[in-house]
Amino acid sequence: MPTTVEDHQLDALFTALSDRTRRDIVARLSTGEATVKELAEPYAMSMQAVSQHIRVLERSGLISRGRHRQTRPCRLEPAALETALSWIEESRRTWTERMDRLEAHLARLQQGPGR
Amino acid sequence: MTDDELVYRRVFAAPRELVWRCLTEPAELAAFWGPRGMVTPIDGIVVELRPGGRFETLMTGEHGSHRMVATFTEVVVPERLAWFEPASGVHTISTLDDLGEGSTAVVICQRQVPEAMRRPEARAGFLSSLDKLAEHLTRLLQGERS
Repeated sequence: MPTTVEDHQLDALFTALSDRTRRDIVARLSTGEATVKELAEPYAMSMQAVSQHIRVLERSGLISRGRHRQTRPCRLEPAALETALSWIEESRRTWTERMDRLEAHLARLQQGPGR
Repeated sequence: MTDDELVYRRVFAAPRELVWRCLTEPAELAAFWGPRGMVTPIDGIVVELRPGGRFETLMTGEHGSHRMVATFTEVVVPERLAWFEPASGVHTISTLDDLGEGSTAVVICQRQVPEAMRRPEARAGFLSSLDKLAEHLTRLLQGERS
């Protein structure tokens, strides 16, 4: 199973998505970009805490921030989500096919005399 | 077992001891382990069947090779086998359930253990929920609100 994705990138992705608030932020950004201030509104936590979550998401590549406007709005980077999904898909395929081959191998072992 | 893992289940028409042998003996692993288009030669397989022992396979194919390097975390003959791959942070737990009449259910659970959780002292807390995450990500990619 040769993998094309970097393990450290996956680490950052799964770490980023392991937190409920960060998953929520990602879900909200899936409908369009937003500033940190807008993202912070629904939460009973400091702007600083929200900024910290956003930095984790930014490091993972899941979101990026605009450079030109002063508010630097956050936006989702779908390519990073695709990376996480493709890892999950690859794992699923590997094990499904491995079980198929094990099934055939077990049948062979039990069929005739010897192997 | 919780439901927040990637889980694969299959019932095999074979006694549990035989299935266990297939999952733990290099001669058997060589016959089915490698992904499609790749081979897993027996001399590239290391199985040190005890907790802390090595579990390594070298899979080779036309387009290169892939070495899996893992450490067994649990070995309970013939019902439970678990290993951890430090490179990817994946913990794989296989359970063999004797269903009687020569059939065996094999359940493979995989969890991606986030880097921060890999230290032994960081025991409590979450393990990333891959199945739910997959659904979640799929929804996001389809542009729906979750």
